Amino acid sequence: MLTFTEKKNSLLIDIPLSDYSIDVIYKCFYWYTGDYDVEVSKESNHTAIEIITRSNEKIDFDYLKSKIKSDLIDFKTRDIISKETKNVRDLIIAKAFSDSDEFNSEPPGEISDPVGFKIKNK
Amino acid sequence: MSRKFKESSYYQKGNTNYYLLPFKFHKINDLTEVLVNEVGEYLFVDNGTANRIINREIEFESNLYKDLISNFFISEKPIPDLIDIISNKYRSKKSFINEFTSLHIFVVSLRCDHTCHYCQVSRVSEDQNKYDMSKSDIDIAISHMLRSKSDHVTMEFQGGEPLLAFDKIKYGVDKAKELNKKYNKEITFVICTNLVSVTKEILNFCKEHNILISTSYDGPQYIHDKNRLYTKGSSHKKVLKGIDLSRKILGHDRVSALMTTTNLTLDYPLEIIDDYYKNGFRNIFLRPISPYGFALKSPKKNKYVTEKFLEFYKKGLMHIIDMNKKGIYFSEDYATIILKKILTPFPVGYVDLQSPAGAINSVIVYNYDGYVYATDESRMLAETGDYSFRLGHLKKNSYDEIFFGKNASKFAYSFANESLPGCSECGLQAYCGADPVFHHASQGDVIGHRPSSGYCQKNMEIIRFILELISKEEYDTIFRSWVYKTSFSEKN
Amino acid sequence: MKLSFKGQANNFFQPIVGKVTRDIDNAKNKILILDDLTEFKSLDNPLALLSAKENKIPNTNEIQIPTIFNLVDLNDLKNDDIAVLNPNGNIRTLFQAESLHNSLFVTDRCNSNCLMCSQPPKNREDIPYFYSINSKLVKLLPKELEAIGITGGEPTLMGEKLGMLISQIKDELPDTDLQILTNGRAFAWQNYTKLISSYYNDNVIFAVPLYSDYYSHHDYIVQAEDAFNQTLLGLHNMARYNFKIEIRIVLHKQSIERLYELSKFIYQTLPFVDHIAFMGLEYTGYTPFNHDLLWIDPVEYQAELQKSVTYLKQNLMNVSIYNLQLCLLPSDLWKYSKKSISDWKQSYLDECNKCTIRDDCGGVFETSKIYSKNIKAFESSIY
Repeated sequence: MLTFTEKKNSLLIDIPLSDYSIDVIYKCFYWYTGDYDVEVSKESNHTAIEIITRSNEKIDFDYLKSKIKSDLIDFKTRDIISKETKNVRDLIIAKAFSDSDEFNSEPPGEISDPVGFKIKNK
Repeated sequence: MSRKFKESSYYQKGNTNYYLLPFKFHKINDLTEVLVNEVGEYLFVDNGTANRIINREIEFESNLYKDLISNFFISEKPIPDLIDIISNKYRSKKSFINEFTSLHIFVVSLRCDHTCHYCQVSRVSEDQNKYDMSKSDIDIAISHMLRSKSDHVTMEFQGGEPLLAFDKIKYGVDKAKELNKKYNKEITFVICTNLVSVTKEILNFCKEHNILISTSYDGPQYIHDKNRLYTKGSSHKKVLKGIDLSRKILGHDRVSALMTTTNLTLDYPLEIIDDYYKNGFRNIFLRPISPYGFALKSPKKNKYVTEKFLEFYKKGLMHIIDMNKKGIYFSEDYATIILKKILTPFPVGYVDLQSPAGAINSVIVYNYDGYVYATDESRMLAETGDYSFRLGHLKKNSYDEIFFGKNASKFAYSFANESLPGCSECGLQAYCGADPVFHHASQGDVIGHRPSSGYCQKNMEIIRFILELISKEEYDTIFRSWVYKTSFSEKN
Repeated sequence: MKLSFKGQANNFFQPIVGKVTRDIDNAKNKILILDDLTEFKSLDNPLALLSAKENKIPNTNEIQIPTIFNLVDLNDLKNDDIAVLNPNGNIRTLFQAESLHNSLFVTDRCNSNCLMCSQPPKNREDIPYFYSINSKLVKLLPKELEAIGITGGEPTLMGEKLGMLISQIKDELPDTDLQILTNGRAFAWQNYTKLISSYYNDNVIFAVPLYSDYYSHHDYIVQAEDAFNQTLLGLHNMARYNFKIEIRIVLHKQSIERLYELSKFIYQTLPFVDHIAFMGLEYTGYTPFNHDLLWIDPVEYQAELQKSVTYLKQNLMNVSIYNLQLCLLPSDLWKYSKKSISDWKQSYLDECNKCTIRDDCGGVFETSKIYSKNIKAFESSIY
């Protein structure tokens, strides 16, 4: 469960590592470093993030909290896709740039009719 | 194998436990997100669908399930049976790389008769001759150009004002054709000129050698002349005269125009577009303000200027779409490039919006003094004392040293947006590109910081906007007419 | 049109392929049709004799030439047609001189079993037989022939012989276009594609059916597991070797379901195809048996067809509509509609006699057992 603490010029977020990994946290809060200063401190089972406003602008806490929750889900989704598809992605690109037949696979399934048909292997 | 007919369920091989294929997603608006697969194919879905897909909440054999399978977003096996098809499509999309450097820019002279305030090139007045490219340098540059892997190269003359060194252009064209007899490549010649000093003699030469003219035209006089100061009067009048004469001699389609955006421009999108149309153009390139002039201003100011540009761009684009709805064919060039990437399976190489980046891979610049630069902007940086992207010298370095040497390899790791922070998982990655020179110039680092990058801010919003327009399905015919009117590489 | 005939054979040891004539003075090396075998004079020997008279049993002891008699109604076997005469007395027309639509039939075998197959397959080895007669046939075809087809069954079951036949056709008919109907599945094996490519020439186009973008839907329609995947891999291999390719889509209740998605899929994944043909259903073969799964009146799918054709044309693909009647198509699709039904199985309905645009329309399949109830003449001439 995420916990938020509102401060005068910053928002503190505490994120259990079981909810969001450090990879996801970095990828997510990277995008906040344009408008804010961001501090990340990783502890053993949770991560503490502080989002600090620049130039004394007032923080819209409701907007920011809602955005953070939704962004974390998005970046976790992306992270899951990246990790689950790493192998097949590597294979797609290796095949795409390969000049030789080294990555060729056998076509799927059977090809014969009831009488009998085989494709000779050359 | 009996010939008894089987039920459809016999042929279904999956279940709710499908496997993911590589894809990315991006929020288009409050209702819709776009899914983009590894080969840049898109699917519009409700917000939150990407998350539902990874949570295995998509119903087996629902319409969405079938769309996801057939469009290569999910698979019923860990390695799909059709993986070779996906690879073939990937290879096709990236095949513009095979051409290697195809655009060769020859800066034949630094002399110029204008003093445009946005020009990063330090102009030298018309009278001095030591700012022209030497014939010996032209020879070496041409031989580099003809070593390109591509069957088709473009030899583009720039400056300053290249027509002030027309003798060098003549020399370059003749020499290129002569040396090309051995290679038999197709060479497209282009002269980028303000057209103010063009003559019939020059145009006849252009006609003889099929040379294209690309000119700078900023719109109505009150904008064009404010931007582009001609030492001898109104640039606007002379440019239109030059365009007219060029069209008469070369043919209407052999003359194109580029607009340079300034702060003044940003207030007049509709007026500029209407003026382009009035003067016989059927397309316009709504380019952002170059950062190379105000690179060191505050990030906040840059963000503001980019926002103003985006407002200008979207207004302009919708105005152009309106013209098309009324039956007038008129297209916007930047949108057309992005539309080709989204709507077609074909490779699209455009130097400022590709991965790997256009620097060296697609374009190279041979400067008047013999130095070679990775991009046009790189030589402008050199004018300010920054030689980061100077690759070598035509007389002092070999082809390999220039194209593959120390200076080139130093920033090659920043070429691919697939591996840049912020870009690596961005839903719009397939439609965007990498621009290390821009990021170096505006942020001091070739990798760049995406959240404060003007390049990212601009492209993310323009691509999102165009995707949103596509999702409305109203403009399909218009968009496809733009995509196919321009020629593009169809190699599979 | 009658294309096969049965009689009693005499003096036959192997099939005979030859050109047909009724001219007794110019019958050398041809198949001579006589009303009465007693008319026969043995000067220049024909390949064979056919007696068209009913129940005439000739004095066969005197005639050593292969003969088939007791034949009924040979009127459809015209002069200059080419036929095969079999030792069991069966005669089949292989080539019709007056037709624009001739094909070499290469086998009844097939490794698919499409729900709507108009030529239901047979599970018996017939490839050597057909290869032998086709090899003879190719030598007899008129050199100025514009186009010829190869059809079956599934031609790739011939293996390398398919390539050899392609080669023979190119040798004998160097300027003739050749269209080969195939499910393309064997080309998923790259070495097979490579083998055929060594015989390929650019008069040849392969016409390959595809019925859905969703694999199990296509597999269900063609009644073969893995068919979709094999066909797609095959198409990509064929493109790699620069084969000319046409995609065919037979329109029925099953294929209409995802027709637009299929069109998008073809453009995105098979952008190299030279032509796409949307085809009206021939109501024969397996189709009547699978009526409930397949039958849909063409007027009911006008919208899907229009959307699909428009999409492909906007993307500069070549599109045609075959085997559909103009009265069942939206008028802005008429320009894609071709008169494609083979002349020997083409006809018009009675209703069509009052139609002012009948001659622009391809008509119907004579072989179809039912027709759309919406076939209606355009009686005014505003079209």
